[in-house]
Amino acid sequence: MLSYILRRLLGVIPVMVVVGVFVFSLLHLAPGDPAAIIAGDNATEASIARIRASLGLDRPLLEQFGKWAWATVQGDLGVSMFSNVPVTELVQQRMGPTFSLAFTTMAVAVIIAVTLGVLAAWKAGSLLDRAVMGLAVTGFSVPVFVVGYIMVYFIALQWRWLPVQGYTPMSEGLWPWLRHLILPSFALGLAYVALIARITRASMLEVLAEDYIRTASAKGVATMPMLLRHALKNAAVPIITVIGIGVALLISGVVITESVFNIPGIGRLVVDAISRRDYPIIQGVMIIFAAIYVLINLVIDISYSFIDPRIRYS
Amino acid sequence: MTSSRRSILKAGAAAAALTGIGAPHVARAQQRPPRQVRMVPHGDLNVLDPIWTTQNMAAYHGAMMYDTLFGIDANFNPQPQMVGKTDISADRKTYTFELRPGLKWHDGTDVTARDCVASIRRWQARDGAGQHLFERVADTPVVDAKTFRIVLKEPYGLLIDALAKTSTPLCVMMKAEIAATDPNTQITKHIGSGPFKFIESEYRPGSRVVYERNPDYVPRSEPASGIAGGKRVLLDKVIWDIIPDAQTAASALMAGEVDFFEVPPIDILPTLIASPGIKTEVLSKLGNVGQVRLNHLHPPFNNLAARKAAQLAINQEDIQRAAIGNSSYYRTCGSHFTCGSAMGVEDGSEALMLKAPMAERQAKARELLKQSGYDGKPIVLLHATNIHVMNQTMLVVAQNLRQVGFNVQLASTDWGAVVTRRSNQNPPDQGGWNVFYTWSGGNATSSPISLFAHAAIGKKAWFGWPENADIEKMRTEWAYAANLEARKGVASRINKTMMDYVHDVKTGQWVQPAVYRGDRIRGLLAVPEVVPWWNVERYA
Amino acid sequence: MATDSMTVRSKVGDFIRRNPTIVVGATLLALITLAALFAPFIARDPIAFEPINRLRGPSADFWLGTDSLGRDVYARMIYGARISLLVGLLVALISIISGAVIGLLAGYFSKVDAVVMRLMDGIMAIPSILLAIALVALLGSSVKVVIIAIAIPEIPRVTRLVRAVVLSVRDLPFVEAARSNGTRVTKLLRRHILPSTVAPLIVQATYICASAILTEAGLSFLGAGTPPEFPTWGNMIASSRLYLQIAPWTIFAPGICLALVVLAVNLLGDGLRDRLDPRISRRM
Repeated sequence: MLSYILRRLLGVIPVMVVVGVFVFSLLHLAPGDPAAIIAGDNATEASIARIRASLGLDRPLLEQFGKWAWATVQGDLGVSMFSNVPVTELVQQRMGPTFSLAFTTMAVAVIIAVTLGVLAAWKAGSLLDRAVMGLAVTGFSVPVFVVGYIMVYFIALQWRWLPVQGYTPMSEGLWPWLRHLILPSFALGLAYVALIARITRASMLEVLAEDYIRTASAKGVATMPMLLRHALKNAAVPIITVIGIGVALLISGVVITESVFNIPGIGRLVVDAISRRDYPIIQGVMIIFAAIYVLINLVIDISYSFIDPRIRYS
Repeated sequence: MTSSRRSILKAGAAAAALTGIGAPHVARAQQRPPRQVRMVPHGDLNVLDPIWTTQNMAAYHGAMMYDTLFGIDANFNPQPQMVGKTDISADRKTYTFELRPGLKWHDGTDVTARDCVASIRRWQARDGAGQHLFERVADTPVVDAKTFRIVLKEPYGLLIDALAKTSTPLCVMMKAEIAATDPNTQITKHIGSGPFKFIESEYRPGSRVVYERNPDYVPRSEPASGIAGGKRVLLDKVIWDIIPDAQTAASALMAGEVDFFEVPPIDILPTLIASPGIKTEVLSKLGNVGQVRLNHLHPPFNNLAARKAAQLAINQEDIQRAAIGNSSYYRTCGSHFTCGSAMGVEDGSEALMLKAPMAERQAKARELLKQSGYDGKPIVLLHATNIHVMNQTMLVVAQNLRQVGFNVQLASTDWGAVVTRRSNQNPPDQGGWNVFYTWSGGNATSSPISLFAHAAIGKKAWFGWPENADIEKMRTEWAYAANLEARKGVASRINKTMMDYVHDVKTGQWVQPAVYRGDRIRGLLAVPEVVPWWNVERYA
Repeated sequence: MATDSMTVRSKVGDFIRRNPTIVVGATLLALITLAALFAPFIARDPIAFEPINRLRGPSADFWLGTDSLGRDVYARMIYGARISLLVGLLVALISIISGAVIGLLAGYFSKVDAVVMRLMDGIMAIPSILLAIALVALLGSSVKVVIIAIAIPEIPRVTRLVRAVVLSVRDLPFVEAARSNGTRVTKLLRRHILPSTVAPLIVQATYICASAILTEAGLSFLGAGTPPEFPTWGNMIASSRLYLQIAPWTIFAPGICLALVVLAVNLLGDGLRDRLDPRISRRM
């Protein structure tokens, strides 16, 4: 087991290198001049050139990459070209909101989706099955920002039940934190319900087709409790897999939701940075996201062996 | 469910009141509301040095935490702010400034003349009007702790105007050791002497900026007008909430989560105003002036006839309608210098044929285009899609040009890519461009020398690189003109020349109303190009 | 004669009853595709406009009203189908074909496997929307770039899928037999291994198609979508989002179309998957 973990951790390195090279080349080889954006509209060509030089952007690409790669490996992700604030500090400030949103969204999605998936599997092939899965898919068919705007219009503006936008950290109270996250979590969570419900349904059906379930059913044991006790436990593996995939997809969904609901998270940080060509932030955050993704996958792979004893790693 | 919850609460509150438990709650309700305002500005404050960048947000920041030697009032006349006494020598070549008493930096030390001289020198290195001024400056000696001089090589009527302007970058005063920073690198310490203090510990780039009242600030005795007069702060805290999505910002204002929304899209203004408590006001009366820049370096627009064809084809009314929508907020204009301002003379605008029907203008344009020998090669329009006014405008311009025979290719990107590509002087098919659009503040545009875009010095000019010796001669003539009437005369001649030469094509003007919770705040000052928060009070 | 047509009819009726999702999905898609193909016959120019007509509600002249420039919303909705469907289709095709090729090679040749899978992991580690925004910001906004930007993050998942199938099939007896018979590798891959991947690939293709159409809308919202001059449902919704209360037709027309197509494609995918997966079709 330990050797497996070590081997996986080592395997992380080439992946990070690929990400680093890819992201750096993408940014620096293509048109985009942060110096011109910093200088503002009324600036002269000469002053833009001076800013470019002061930011080190006129050095040869390989030199810039080497400097950045060496610093990154030591944990120094540089500073924003615009605000001079260290990238790590910016990410720290915005971790809380993004993680909160991701967590509550996943909670909403999983609870709704697993329920729907179990229901659909129980009555597979029936009208209920079709209706439930159709419902799940509907949540996925409308763009998140449209769902978000409609929710805000009715729930926040017309009925004043919840706030329109913003984020309060948990340190300022559990309920204020939660009430700012309810609308965004639902708007975003609905998009993942279809994916998770589908996998839940499929793996439940697989388990239900197993001999021991059919035997128990033939013996007269009621289907529902049996489903919940045995099938769900055994279906956990693929469900956790898809949750893992969902987390990776979640980062993409979070970007839009943060813009709609004005949550000061990492998604918005990166989108703003891209439009300004703030290279250190873009590069730093991509590296961090890649690291998180790889870590989560590792955790999921390891958790498999605890949940399903049949899975062993040589 | 809601009503039963409310009735339980009501019963509970009644019970609590009887037992006196709710007493502190009642007392709190009678307290005054917090003296703070939340504003949604038009952009993000990501650079904190108002000299290093010409971004407008940095200018707003500068106006909050720093102070200026002079400031323009509501009638655009420069008035003293930090300066107490001004003395101009008989030959008009030596200006002596003495600072008024009571000026202190946020760290408690006194403001000295040395600080001011250092700040002016750093500012002029990055500002067009400042550079124009300093070409004529011989020396800036410090006389004593509170007095300094600017000694000119020849008289320059606009010295104080340059120091007083609100168009970015403002001539803000910083401590000498901070102002000593190279103008091409950002300052790292932020210590001002203005009416507000910048709370760096609560600053979240891209999300939030916080200012607190400076209790040690000594305002002037005159009433506030423009950025002149007494900057009396009636609030404890001003918070800038950065909300990039306009729909979200509008909803936040309607729900009362913010108090001021600087740039609501004019199309949703009716919805906002209909919402209880919300008022609208135009704070920058000179508004914005749109300009389509043609590339004078490469075909077809290196040819006068082709430029004239474009000038006739571009339909100001259609552009404003599509971009702004509500005719109460826009107007067409036959001047290169902001209609409605002192220099906004429309002489020479016959070339635009503004009063003629569009069909006639287009016929003439087609003729001119043929005359120019245009070969049908595609022209590249830089189209910024992420800014509403730019997006709409360029789509209209593309159609306008197509209708008279240009073969238009839209390069649709975000504004950042436009900013990058527009500085490329290569031919359009090698990374260059033919047409791009932006706008500038009405105040800056009204001055032939303040706006760099007005310069016609060829390859060293602003993007588009127009070159015309007559325009340059007249610009200098304008700066030296003796009085307002003389300047108007020169401006009129510059305008005619610019029209005949087709320096660039203006697309009309508009004013941007702000919306705010009129049921909570009052006292907003109408100032172009900055949004000041002194004089504003929270009353509910 | 009578018996033949009755058999055909009853067979069709049978099929519809047994596979309602496939039928509903396919019919919806067919209708929308037809409308897209015949766009020039049923709608006017979607790009020309007169600003004086802006934000008008549905009327006899403009069936679904006009947008903020004065363009015909109905015409843009019909023409929008072209690009939206094209985006969905091409993204699915590109990602499926690339993923299949790479997955086949990786699954069969273990030396290729090690290198390729690291690369795929690297691509998967970058959040897809950030990659897409960066690509569009860098390479400019055009339908081509948007298609590639959406397709690239989908490739690793397809590769994984195909590779898994190849790994499970590679050492089966019939493949061993073909190998020992001296069959060339390409023929081996094509004739013996590829068929096992077809069913899951078709299902995956439908999901990718639906997801791509939605992602295009999301990218337009973030300002990194297709150029706004040419309509897609995604960029119509994104550019009209301010007008939810003022001119709701500008959002609902493309929004409903988008939802319908995504629904249709998903239903098709679900139906196909149930049909092709023997364990589930047995229960039905």
